[in-house]
Amino acid sequence: MSEKSRNERAQALRDRLNTELQRMSLDMCVKCTICETACPVAAVTPLFSGPKFVGPQAERFRDEESVDHSVDYCSSCGTCSVVCPQGVNVAELNSLARAVMKAEQGVPVRDRMITQTVLMGKAMTPVAPIANAVLDNKLARYAMEKVVGVHRDAPMPTARGESLHKWLKKRPKPTKAPTRGALVYFHGCAGGYFEVDAAKKAIEVLEHIGYEVIVPDQGCCGLAEQSNGLFEQASASVRRLVDQLRTPGTDLTIISTAGSCTGMLKHEAHQILGIHDPELLDVGTRIREISEFLMELHAAGELPTDFRPVEMRLPYHAPCQLKSQGIGTPASDLLRLIPGLEVIDSNVTCCGIAGTYGLKKEKYEIAQAVGQPLFDMVQANNDGLAACDTETCRWQIEKSSGVETVHPIVLVHRAYGLSS
Amino acid sequence: MSDVVVIGAGLAGLTAALRLARAGRSVTLATKGPGGLQLSQGTIDVLGYTPERVTRPLDAVAAVAPGHPYASIGADAVGSAVSWLAEALGPDLLVGDASRNYQLPTAVGALRPTALAQPSMIAGDAAGGRSYAVVGVRQLKDFPADLIAGNLARTTAPDGSRLAAHSAFIDLPARRGEADPTPLTYARAMDDEAFADRFARDVAAVAGKADVVALPAVLGVRRSGVWRQVAEVIGRDVCEIPLPPPSVPGLRLYDALLGMARAAGVRFIQGSRIVGFEAADGGTIASVTLAAAGGPRALRASSFVFAPGGFESGALDVDSHGAITEPVFGLPLTATDAGPLIPEVYWGPHPLFEVGVRTDDAGRPAGPDGAAVHPNLYVAGGIIAGAERWREKSGDGIAVATAVRAADHITGGAR
Repeated sequence: MSEKSRNERAQALRDRLNTELQRMSLDMCVKCTICETACPVAAVTPLFSGPKFVGPQAERFRDEESVDHSVDYCSSCGTCSVVCPQGVNVAELNSLARAVMKAEQGVPVRDRMITQTVLMGKAMTPVAPIANAVLDNKLARYAMEKVVGVHRDAPMPTARGESLHKWLKKRPKPTKAPTRGALVYFHGCAGGYFEVDAAKKAIEVLEHIGYEVIVPDQGCCGLAEQSNGLFEQASASVRRLVDQLRTPGTDLTIISTAGSCTGMLKHEAHQILGIHDPELLDVGTRIREISEFLMELHAAGELPTDFRPVEMRLPYHAPCQLKSQGIGTPASDLLRLIPGLEVIDSNVTCCGIAGTYGLKKEKYEIAQAVGQPLFDMVQANNDGLAACDTETCRWQIEKSSGVETVHPIVLVHRAYGLSS
Repeated sequence: MSDVVVIGAGLAGLTAALRLARAGRSVTLATKGPGGLQLSQGTIDVLGYTPERVTRPLDAVAAVAPGHPYASIGADAVGSAVSWLAEALGPDLLVGDASRNYQLPTAVGALRPTALAQPSMIAGDAAGGRSYAVVGVRQLKDFPADLIAGNLARTTAPDGSRLAAHSAFIDLPARRGEADPTPLTYARAMDDEAFADRFARDVAAVAGKADVVALPAVLGVRRSGVWRQVAEVIGRDVCEIPLPPPSVPGLRLYDALLGMARAAGVRFIQGSRIVGFEAADGGTIASVTLAAAGGPRALRASSFVFAPGGFESGALDVDSHGAITEPVFGLPLTATDAGPLIPEVYWGPHPLFEVGVRTDDAGRPAGPDGAAVHPNLYVAGGIIAGAERWREKSGDGIAVATAVRAADHITGGAR
């Protein structure tokens, strides 16, 4: 990238940081330190000086240059904005400040590569056994750490050999006719290529309770690009996805099993990328995380609860990017409807991975320290399975605790008798 | 749908949610932030000043003016509500009772009256000519040991005895390379037994002679009993003095109360404001509106407890014209014009802070005629009119007593 265009990009982002309305929320900060006490990263390392410090405080000095480089140690988990009692957009403004800084300094090749989730899925799926073997190979991972900067022990997805869309084309048509109308299903890149099992089961559960499930072709929401400061690429990705999710119709509810991508569509693309397109806002108001949707049905008395008992203890972790949607923890409520299932909430803020944060060699140790209380809790309370709503968090929990970790819908699928 | 939606996770909201859940009600607790507990001293003030310094709070509660939140509850009910909370939290977190106040040193060396305190604090109770060795940590700026000792040394305790105090410092970073650690950084370090031991040995080496060693309130946040470990190493009583936020003793209470509420089955929704409501026939609240990401969500329930705090949390609003409003339900307030209520002398009384919602005897918001505005809406804590809580040191007691009142009316257990 030429110096000129780099400066122009940085200036454009800085203009946003300096002039957007949400900047005024800084004036609501009363320096109560609540965000500092809730920040999972500042708790384990002094390298990040905390959301208030790099946010409402440092922001006042960021007129022409980035003054506090520790903002790059923010994991973008969003907890600071969730807990702020005064409504300061701490996480959003810190994300923007980091994007300015990265635009000034240039973005490392590594950070560009690890955001290419669809490309990874497309490349790995046809050669799944080879890809998985390479990612399991110590020497290959050592080389990857040295050359690219992805930590040798960081969790990696497992390629599945068959993508969700390939399965959709092959499978027999559902025998039960829909009784409740149509839904649009958003599986996210992980659901399309790596977490295919959860995606299939989500579709089967929705069909089981009487919906027609439409699965449009869909790409990435751009969240990984956004949290790496690649705002232009992220904006293009999310706009493309919004168009794709709107093709089946503009009045259908959109159901998602990708918890953090749901947050991207509901609020992050709007607040962090500054996209105000009515199409995005439309998708953002129609989309529901699948447990949220099922609990809405339950509240209206419309969810079948003829669940078979599932006798086990199940540690459940509500991921930060689900909590930042401000809807509580619907999966925890949903799983409690299943007889025999003893749901144990982790009550831990974050698993540490935060999308791509915990993959990076300089942040891997921090991410592990953030997640340690969760790994301990999962190990102490499981009967062979744990549950969590977001993909990279599941990979992190599974890798670091050694306990298989699934999307909550997998348990619902089992309780409906659709699998054993 | 839950039986009850509680709004706010301060002391009032958490107390109401816990009491309702333990009485078998399904409860959803919705809050924007974590409430004010972690900005507090981690003690339970019942009544500290009337404006004279109070030593027997329940006696003073029995004598409050009509219109004070305590007046319609009565001293017995205030005492039993506070006792219930203390029993729920247990003696590792709260000791004392509402019949007498401790007089505990503050982070500027004043004496603060409070009814229930954490066991790590009470050796500091200022009586009998007690002498203090106030030991600070060089890296921890919020504990000015010299100032604390200097002020204590010129103080006559409420029992008429003279206090004695001197100061000392240790040099012990909690994390290498950190320029400005908070009290919480130290408290987390103390959760490690080895660090707490090292801290205690360093303190013992500099403390000098005194009845009690006064330390910053950083003696552990998750591991309980760190203060006992430290006292054992030093070989003397220690007392924790709460610091400016982040308050470690306040966090201990918040974590414990939220943990108990969750264990009792309370659903917890954090991060979104409640911004409105839908009413059914007769003014009954059918649902409140949660401003979640992606659009409003309705939280339906049979009863609602509104415990959002007062002006400090934005639950009561004053606009630039001085108009006072309660924005969520539009509840009737005891005054609507702030202009005449703001004094010219800052140090005098601030009648503005007495403004709030008046209630009926069940704790429901009431109009000027005393009748409930919504039959299934209760209020608790700082939104209630009639007390300048921060001046009286009555906010915690009001929060607990009004939360218990609301919960008991909902469950039908009210006397």
